[in-house]
Order: sequence, then C-alpha cells, then structure tokens
Amino acid sequence: MIRQRKEKLSALALAAPLLLFLTVLVIWPVYLGVRTSLSRDLLSEFEITPAGLDNYRAVLQAPDFWSALRFTILFAIVVTIIEGILGFALALVFDRKFPGKKTLFSMVLIPIMIAPSLMAVMYRLILNENIGIIPGAIQKIGWDISIFDQRYIFFTLVALDAIQYTSFAFLLAYAALQNIPQDIYESAAIDGARYRQVVFRITIPILRPALAIVALLRLIDSFRTFDTVYILTGGGPGISTQTIGIYIYKTAFITGDFGLASAASVTLVLLLVPLMPSIIKQFRLDVK
Amino acid sequence: MRLRKILTAAIATGALVGGLTVVPAHAATEVKMILWPGPEGEAMQKVVDAYNAGQGKKDGVVVKQVLLSRDNTFAKEAALMKAKSSEYDIYFTASYLVGQHAPYLSELKGIKDSRYLKASIDGLKVNKKQMALPLDTSLHFMYYRTDLVSSLSSAANVAKYKSISKTVLGKELSPNTDPETWSWDDALATAAFFTQKYNPDSPTKYGYALPAKNLLYNTMIWNDVLWGLGGNWFKNGKPSINTTAGKAAIDVYRTIYTKELTSPESSQWEYAETNAALTSGNAMMALQWNAAYSELSSTGSTSGKVGIAAPPGKGQRTHVHALAVGLNKYSKNQAAAQKWMQYLSTVKAMKDYAAAGGVPSMPTILNTMVSTNASFANIIAYAGKFGYAEAAGPREFDMYAKLAEVLSPAWVGQKTAAEVASAADAALKSLQK
Repeated sequence: MIRQRKEKLSALALAAPLLLFLTVLVIWPVYLGVRTSLSRDLLSEFEITPAGLDNYRAVLQAPDFWSALRFTILFAIVVTIIEGILGFALALVFDRKFPGKKTLFSMVLIPIMIAPSLMAVMYRLILNENIGIIPGAIQKIGWDISIFDQRYIFFTLVALDAIQYTSFAFLLAYAALQNIPQDIYESAAIDGARYRQVVFRITIPILRPALAIVALLRLIDSFRTFDTVYILTGGGPGISTQTIGIYIYKTAFITGDFGLASAASVTLVLLLVPLMPSIIKQFRLDVK
Repeated sequence: MRLRKILTAAIATGALVGGLTVVPAHAATEVKMILWPGPEGEAMQKVVDAYNAGQGKKDGVVVKQVLLSRDNTFAKEAALMKAKSSEYDIYFTASYLVGQHAPYLSELKGIKDSRYLKASIDGLKVNKKQMALPLDTSLHFMYYRTDLVSSLSSAANVAKYKSISKTVLGKELSPNTDPETWSWDDALATAAFFTQKYNPDSPTKYGYALPAKNLLYNTMIWNDVLWGLGGNWFKNGKPSINTTAGKAAIDVYRTIYTKELTSPESSQWEYAETNAALTSGNAMMALQWNAAYSELSSTGSTSGKVGIAAPPGKGQRTHVHALAVGLNKYSKNQAAAQKWMQYLSTVKAMKDYAAAGGVPSMPTILNTMVSTNASFANIIAYAGKFGYAEAAGPREFDMYAKLAEVLSPAWVGQKTAAEVASAADAALKSLQK
C-alpha cells in the first residue's frame, strides 16, 4: 500500500515539470484566448466588456473569415500534395549513390533552415521585375513575364512554399527509406521486378505511415502559413490570397479587435479538431 | 533550529552587504522609448546620445531607445498597450494611429504649437488634447522624369501624344509640360505616352509605377487621387466613396492598371518596388512618399533627373501625417519622461535630428536644411498649401486598412469601381460606430 502510494507520488513528481509547462504555456493562454473571445476587447476602447457570443456570431457571419478559410484549405492541400510528391521523389533520387551526393544533400536542406519571413523578403528582391536577378535572366531569353502578376500569384505562392518546404518532406521520406531492409529489394530484383514496380508495390506501401506523417505535418504547418504570403501580397489583391493566419493577425493588430481575433482562432480550432481523428484514421497512423 | 540559525545569518549578511553598498544620492531615471529601425531610429539615436551626454545629466534622466521591427512595431505596441504595460515609457505613434492609441497615452502639456507645421501638430490632437509630439512629417509628391517631360514639347511628340491619349483615354489631349498644373487626365495621358505598349519609342517600359498592393499605406496614396478629384471619405458625416468623385478616383487606378501603364506585378507593389521601378528606368512617374527623394535623386535612371510636383488635381490633395512619440499612461517614470519630451520639443533637439537624417516637422529647421535636401522646400510649401489628413477618429487606422482591402481588387481591374464603392462605404460606416 505504502509502496503504491510512493510510486504514485514519484510519478506525479516526475510529471510535474511537464504539467507545469503545459499549464503555463498551453492551458493558461488557451483559457485567456477563450475569455478574450467572449469579450468586447478593442484597442481603441479602454474598457473590456463582456460580449457573450457576439464575436462568434460576427466571425461566422464574416465573408472574409470564410474566404480566408477557403483559400487556406486550398493552399494547404495543394502545397502538401506537391511537396509530398517532390520530397518523396527527391528521397528516391538520394537513395542511390552518385558523386557529390553529400554536398547536394546539404544544399537541399538549406531552405528549411531559413526563416520564412527572411525568405519572403529575399523573394521580393530576387523576383522583382525591375531589380530581380531571376526576372532579369528570364527577360534576357526574351520571355516577358511578371512573376507577381495577379493572374499567377497563387501558383507563385505555391511554388515559393514548395521551394522552402519540399526539403522537409524529403528529409522525413529519406529517413524512412533508410529503414527499409535491403533484402526486400534484393528479393524483388531476383523476381525480376522493374524499378517502377519496386517503387509502387514495395517502397510506397512500406513508407505509407511515414508519408502520412509527412502529409499530416505539412498540412498542419501550411494551414498556419503567414509570413511569406503576408510579406509578398498582404493577402491581396483584396482578400484573394488572405490566409486564415493573416485574417486573425489583421483583425487583432490592425483592426485592434482582440475579441474578434480570439473568436476566429477558437472557431478555427473547433472546426479543425473533429477532422483530426478521421485524418489519422484515413492514413492508418498507428497511434497508441 | 538549524534552519533558524541559517536564516538569521543570511538576513544579517544581507543587511550588512546592503548597508555597505554605495547608492548614489541621485541615481538617473531610465526612460525607455520605442521607435522603429530605419532613418528615424538612426537619427533619433544621435539625439538620445546628445541628451544623455548633456541635458540628461542635469535632468537626472537617461534615455534608452528600443528599436522594434519596422513592419510590426505597431502590432507589438498594441499588445503592450492592451496589457497596460509599464515596460516602456514612451510609445512610437503617428497621426493616423493616435486616435487608437490615445486611451493609453498621457496628455502632453507645454508644447509650443507655433514651432510645428500646422497639419503635423494638429493631426496629433485627440479631442483638442495634444497626445503626441511630432517627429517626422510625411507627405506625397508626384515624382517624374524631368528629361522625359521636357521632351513632350517637340512637334512630333505633340501629334503622337494626341493620338495616344485618344486611344487610351478616349480624349485628344495636348501635352502639359508643367506637372505642377496636371489634372489626372494629363498625368494618365503622359503615362500612356511613356508606355512602350502605346509608344515603342518610349525610353521607359511603363509610364507609371502604381503601388496597388493591399496595404493601408497605399490607401494613403490613393487618397491623394480622391481628394484631387474633389472627393473625401465622408460628406456631412456619411461615407462618400460611392460618389462620382470616389468612383472616378478608383477608375484612375483601374485605368493605369488595366491599360497596362504600369507593370502587371504592381498589384503587389508598395514603397520599395515603386522606387525600384523608377530608379531602374522602367517607369516614368509615380505618386510616392517624400522620403523617397534622397534615393530617387541619387540613384539609377532618376539620378539628377527627378522632378517633384504636387499630386494632380485641385484643392487640398496631399496626405500629410506625422510620426510621433507619446507618453505611456502607465509609465512609472512620468516626470522623467516628460523632461525628455520637453527636450525633444526644442529646436536644438530637432536640429540634431534633421542633421542625422530625420525630417522634423518644424518649418524653421526644414528651411535651413534645404541645401542638404531640396525636397524640404516642397514639404513646407505643399504641407501648408495642399496638405490634408482624414480626421476619422479612433478607428482611422482600421479604415485605411479596410479601404485597401476593399478597393485593391478594383485598382487592379478584378472588380469595377461601382462594385467596390458601395462596399467601401459600408466598411467605413461599420467602423464609424
């Protein structure tokens, strides 16, 4: 009896730092966010007054919120698919031996080491039609194109996101590839399987859980896209490229409506949480 | 028992050390001030250093300047203000933000209004109370290539100009080589003339550099068009973008973009890209901030060839705002911060600021500095004659942002002026509450 009690106490003592961490950095801010979402809390007004569910009503009726959500979902799905495919393809390439592999491997990883906001500022410079090195080179070959033309802006944003985050998908896919026993490939070779058959019938099925994790992580991360899009387009023209992160940021820090911004954040979480178990189930992730 | 002994010893040691520590009789009070990085922050550091080395010693005040990021200074300040923080004694603000910031600022007293440009000092009053002290004054100029405008008067160009203006604007116009008297039709016809699509001989690819990104600072520039055509945000207290003048102002931007007088990527342009278009020689003119003068007058294709005029149109038509500093209501060093603010309001402090690259709102100083920056003369002249600022109250900042969001699709031809004008009025009305 005493032993059991001691074990419980020591378990509690061991868990205490984590519980404290969660309380201070997760539970308390979430509580504050929910409380703010139920208040009329404007920067231009000194007093904070209870607002009930008014902010939630306003969010649900705001076309800007739904437009931002639609754009974010579309953007997240497109970049996740593209980066997943490119990352996996790169992993297959790097799974072979070739000269300069180590150097190239390091170079491929550089984009994820750079802060997204810094990348965006760099893009603004190097892709600028007037002073950018890339449009300059394109114009030299006689092709007159404006990379930030509003007609192509969605594809530009997708391409820039892919440049930065494909390496993340590549890294995880490559690590998973290294865990596939060589005997399986050897057996397939003895059976006369072609490379394409090996990839589609052996590699992909084995890597499915790892690829699912890659997709899940990229999906969640791209849902939070803010820096690059905000710096390059400000969400425009109009709200045509406004992500949900930009909507919340502008509502809080430009409009100065913290109540509405918090309500939008909470609504977003409430909309996403029910999807998570089905996503996990869909990808057959073995979560125990 | 043992614990008590240890505690007693610790307290005794603490008291002894504390008693021996030398505390200066009049320790200087530290005043922390927020500014943003860039020319303003750099110039202010010189003023801070001079104060700390001189007057600050007499006042018993040491000023520490903290530079937040240029893009997010106001967002960070918003969080500090809402938390009623006393971490910083002086906040960075601006005339377009002071209405939003006023609940968190103390009123400033003893400031001599007569020292400042009227538009700048008045723009920082909320309910007739002076809530912030002006630093830099910002307004807009119509920048143009002097060499190209002067070439318009040749007989061959006059005929071509008439033909191009007929094609692009549907009106046969004659060149006007004095941009100071331009109407928007003159500006558009000149932009069309210097666009290679309509005039393959034009040295510039585009006639205009249009900052049309969804950005609140771009609304400030578009406001010049609105005012120049006789419009305003409000008329008799009611939103008035959905008027003939409002829709005409939207159509000026729409024409520039859809007729390709500007680059297609200008839908994402702001200050830096507009400058780049001019200095690279790709564009011939732009409405742009006065701060661009130093770069434009000394860089690339515009070096030595950049002219300044008031924005086209009639009446009060250049946006004026003042960057400023205000005293945090929750500062625990109010008296010390007031001393520093008093110093900042002196001619000496602002002279140091101007010498270090600032553009102070004091006309006497700007006048003496014209030899170092020719645009200072235009600032004084235009701020007085053409300067204007919307006095839209505590939510003015939001209104600028909302208008950029609502109007920018029409600026770049995604929507018509009629489609967005009523939405702009609705947005203004909702923010008036």
